[in-house]
Amino acid sequence: MSDVPATAVSEAARKDGILRRVINAVGVDNLSLLLALVLVIFVVYLQQPLFLSWQNLMNSLAQSIVIVGLMAIGETVVIIAGGLDISVGSVASVASVTAAIAVTSGLFGILPAGSMQLGLITGIVTGLILGTGNGLIVTILRVNPIIATLGTLAAYAGLAFLVAPGGKPVGVITQPDFTWLGSGRFVDSLPIPLLGGSPWTGIPVLFVILLVVTILVHILMKYMDFGRAIYAIGGNATAARLAGINVTRVKITMYALSGGIAGLAGVLLTGRTTSGNPINGVGFELQAITAVFLGGAATTGGKGTIVGTVLAFILVGVLNNGMNLIGINTYYQKVALGGLLIGAVAVAQWRQARAERARTRIAAASA
Amino acid sequence: MTTAADLEAPAPESRPTPPGTLEIRGISKAFPNVQALLDVSLDVRSGEILALLGENGAGKSTLLKILNGDYTPDTGTLTIDGERMSFSSPRDSHRHGIRVIYQEPEIVPGVDVAENIWVGELPQRNGFVSRRKLKESVLADLRRYGFESVLPMNLMGDMLSSAQRQLVEIMRALKSNVRILALDEPTSSLTDEEVDRLFTLVRRLRSEGVAIIYVSHRIREILRLTDRVAILRDGKLVSIQPAADLTERDIVRLMVGRELQDVFRRRRSVAERIVLEARDIKSNWHRGISFQVRAGEVVGFAGLVGAGRTELAKVIFGEFPMDSGSVLVDGAEVAIKRPDDSINLGLGFAPEDRKREGLILMRSVLENTSMVILRRLTRLGFVRSREERRIASRYIERLRVRTPSLDQEVGKLSGGNQQKVVLARWLAAKPKVLILDEPTRGIDVGAKAEIFRLIDELANEGIGIVFISSDLLEILGLSDRIYVMQRGRITGELSGEGATEEQVLALAMAEHLTASTSGGVPADLAAEGQAR
Repeated sequence: MSDVPATAVSEAARKDGILRRVINAVGVDNLSLLLALVLVIFVVYLQQPLFLSWQNLMNSLAQSIVIVGLMAIGETVVIIAGGLDISVGSVASVASVTAAIAVTSGLFGILPAGSMQLGLITGIVTGLILGTGNGLIVTILRVNPIIATLGTLAAYAGLAFLVAPGGKPVGVITQPDFTWLGSGRFVDSLPIPLLGGSPWTGIPVLFVILLVVTILVHILMKYMDFGRAIYAIGGNATAARLAGINVTRVKITMYALSGGIAGLAGVLLTGRTTSGNPINGVGFELQAITAVFLGGAATTGGKGTIVGTVLAFILVGVLNNGMNLIGINTYYQKVALGGLLIGAVAVAQWRQARAERARTRIAAASA
Repeated sequence: MTTAADLEAPAPESRPTPPGTLEIRGISKAFPNVQALLDVSLDVRSGEILALLGENGAGKSTLLKILNGDYTPDTGTLTIDGERMSFSSPRDSHRHGIRVIYQEPEIVPGVDVAENIWVGELPQRNGFVSRRKLKESVLADLRRYGFESVLPMNLMGDMLSSAQRQLVEIMRALKSNVRILALDEPTSSLTDEEVDRLFTLVRRLRSEGVAIIYVSHRIREILRLTDRVAILRDGKLVSIQPAADLTERDIVRLMVGRELQDVFRRRRSVAERIVLEARDIKSNWHRGISFQVRAGEVVGFAGLVGAGRTELAKVIFGEFPMDSGSVLVDGAEVAIKRPDDSINLGLGFAPEDRKREGLILMRSVLENTSMVILRRLTRLGFVRSREERRIASRYIERLRVRTPSLDQEVGKLSGGNQQKVVLARWLAAKPKVLILDEPTRGIDVGAKAEIFRLIDELANEGIGIVFISSDLLEILGLSDRIYVMQRGRITGELSGEGATEEQVLALAMAEHLTASTSGGVPADLAAEGQAR
C-alpha cells in the first residue's frame, strides 16, 4: 500500500527532471519562442494536415530554411559580440560565382573540374577572405560595423559581377557531382514504412549541412573559449580587454567565420540553382538578421543563443511554408514576418524592463 | 526611537515644528524576502544637516528612494509644513522641493556642462535656445558656490569625472529652489580638496534654510559636517542624536552592532626583490614617472583626482599608450602593447569602475571569475568545465562572495560582492604584481575590512601590490611605502610607517615651480576627462 505514493513521487520527480533538462537545453529565454513555434505548427496543421508530411517537411520546409539559417548562424555570433554583418548576402553572391568558376575549370589538375570538394573549398575560402576584410575594416580602421558592412554589402555585390566572366552567371548544370550538394538526398529508401504512411523522400544534403554547421557553432559558442570571448566582448568590451582577451583578434576571427559560413551558403546556392549567379545571395542578409533578433539576441550585444536563432528561423520557415500551403498571399506573409519581428522584440523589451525593475528593487533592498 | 529624537531635539518648545520641516512617520517598506524599512520615524529640519548612516542593506537607499518618489512606502506618512504628501513620481517630489542626489547621476554625454545643468528646461528665446543667457546664468551660479574652476562650463558630459558629475546634479537641484536636499554618498569619489568645497556648499545651503540629509560611509566627515546623526540597522532606526555627543567609535558600534577592531593589519615582510619597476614613464598624462614595487610590498599611490594615478595604472598595464620610458618586470625590460601582454608577464589590474571596466554584468559569477585564467583551463579550445568550476568556487569561497550559485548573473550581486568577484578573478590568476584602483570605492565597512585583510594576505604571499586610493586613512593604514602624485608627476615618496595625512596632503597639493615643460601641459581636469 505504501509503495503507491512512493512510485507516484518518483514518477513526478523523473518527469520534473526531464522537463528541467529540456528547459535547460532550450534555455529559459527561448521557451516563449518554442511555444510560439508549437502553436504555429498546430494551427497550420489544423488548416492543412499535409504540412506534417515528410514530403513537405523535408522538401519544402527544410530546404527553404537552409540558406537563411546558415547565414543567421554566423550572424548570431557577430551580433552576440556586439557587431553586425550586413554583407553576408553579397559574400554569398561572390562565393557562388567563384565556386562555380572553380568547379567548371578545375584546379591545375590537383582537383578535377566538377569536384564537389573544390567548389566547397573555393566558396568557403572566398567567404573567409571577404569576412576577414570586414573584420579588418571594423577593427583596424575602426569603422562602425553597421557602416563597414553596409559598405562591403555594396562593394561585394559589385565584386560578384566583376568576378563573373562578362558579368554573366556561370552554369554548373553539367557537373552532377557538384550539384548533388543542392539536390542530393541521403537515405533514399527506408526498410520500414514511415509512421502515418506518408511517402519517404530522403534527407536533403542541404539540410544535413545546415545541421552540422549549427551543431559545430553551437559547440563553439557554448563549450569553447572562443564563445566565452564573444559573449564577454559583447557584454563589455573594455572589461574583456582588461581581462586579457585580445578583442581585435577575436573580432577579426568572428567576421571571418561569418564570411566563411556565408561563403558556404553561396556554394550551396550555386548547387541548388545550378548556376554561379552574381545575384544569388541578394536579400538574404535581412532575413538572417531578422532571425537573429527574433531569436532573442540583443542589439547591444552580450545576449543571444544559437538555439534561439535556430528556433527563430524554423518559426519563420514554418510561417512562410504554412501560409503557402494554406494559400495566403505572399505579400501578407511579408507583413506577418515584419509584425512578428517587431512584436517579439517589443515583448522581449517589456520583459527586460520588468526584470530590471525587479533587480533595482532587490538592489535597493540590499543596498 | 521617536522619543529619543524628541528628547534630543534642540529647544523644542521654542520651535515646535519649524517651517520647512520634513516629518517622516512610521515608514515601512518590504520587498520580497527583505523588510527594507520598519517603522522609521524622524524629522529633518530646515537649516540642519542630518547624517543618515548604516551598513549596506540597512535601508538608507530605500529611504532616499521613498523621498524621491521612486518607491511608495507600505505604511507611514511624509509631511512637509503640515501638508501630507503622497509621492507618486520623482517629478512630484521635485515639485515639493525635494531633491535626492544619487552617486551616479544621469549625465547627457554629448552636451556641455551648462546644458547638462539646464537639461529639460533650457532658456529659450523665440523658440531657440539662448546660449548667451544660459552661459550667464550657469556661470553666475557656479561663481556663487565657488565651482567655476572645478567645473568648466563647456566640458562635454562624457568628459566629466565622478566628482564633476555630482556637481552638475547638485547645480541642477539648486536652480530649482530646493527645500530638502538628500546627498547619497557624495564624497565617495571625491578628493579631500573637493570634499572641502562640497562641505562649504552644504554649510552655505544650511544657512540658507535648506534641510539636508547626508548619507555617507565616512564617519569622520560626518562628525565634521553634520548636526544630528541618524543610524539605521536592518531597516530600523537604532539611534538619532546630536553629532556632538558621538565619537567615531560609538558610530561604528551602532552601525555594525559590534566593535570594529584592527581594520588595518600590517604584519608582513617585504622582500628585496623588485617585481615591478617603471623608469621615466611619459605619456599624455605623465611627465616622467619612476617607481618600484618589491615582492610582498603594498605600495600606496595617493593624490588628488586628476593626478594621473588611474591613467598610470592603465599605461603600465597596456590599456593606454606610453610615449617613452620603460617597464621592468622581475628586473627585465618588457614590451607591453596590450593588456594581455601584461597579464602574460604576471601583472593584474582591478580597475576603479568595476561596472564599466571590470565585469561582464550580464554573465555569470563563474565566467567572470575564470576570465583571466581561461586560457590555462582549455584543451584544444574546449573549456574544461569541471576544473573551471573547482577553481572558481575555491576563490569565491576564499573571498566569501555572497552568491546563490556560481551561475548567478554578476549584475545581480551587491557592490561589495561584485568587487570581490573582480578580486577573485585576479587571485585565481596568481599574479606577481596586482594593481588595485580604488578597491573599496562604494562598499560598506564590513566588506572594506575584508578587502584590507585580503590585501594583507596577498602581500604576505609575496605579491607586490600597487594600491591606488583616494582615502588617506586607507593609504596610510595599509601601505608599506607611499608615492604621492600630482599632475602627472610623483611629488614625493614616504615610508608607510609614520607617514601622516598632513605630509601626504602637502605633497599632493604642492605647487610645481620647476616648469620645465611649461608649454602644452594638459590641465588636470581635461586629462581626467580624456581618460574617462
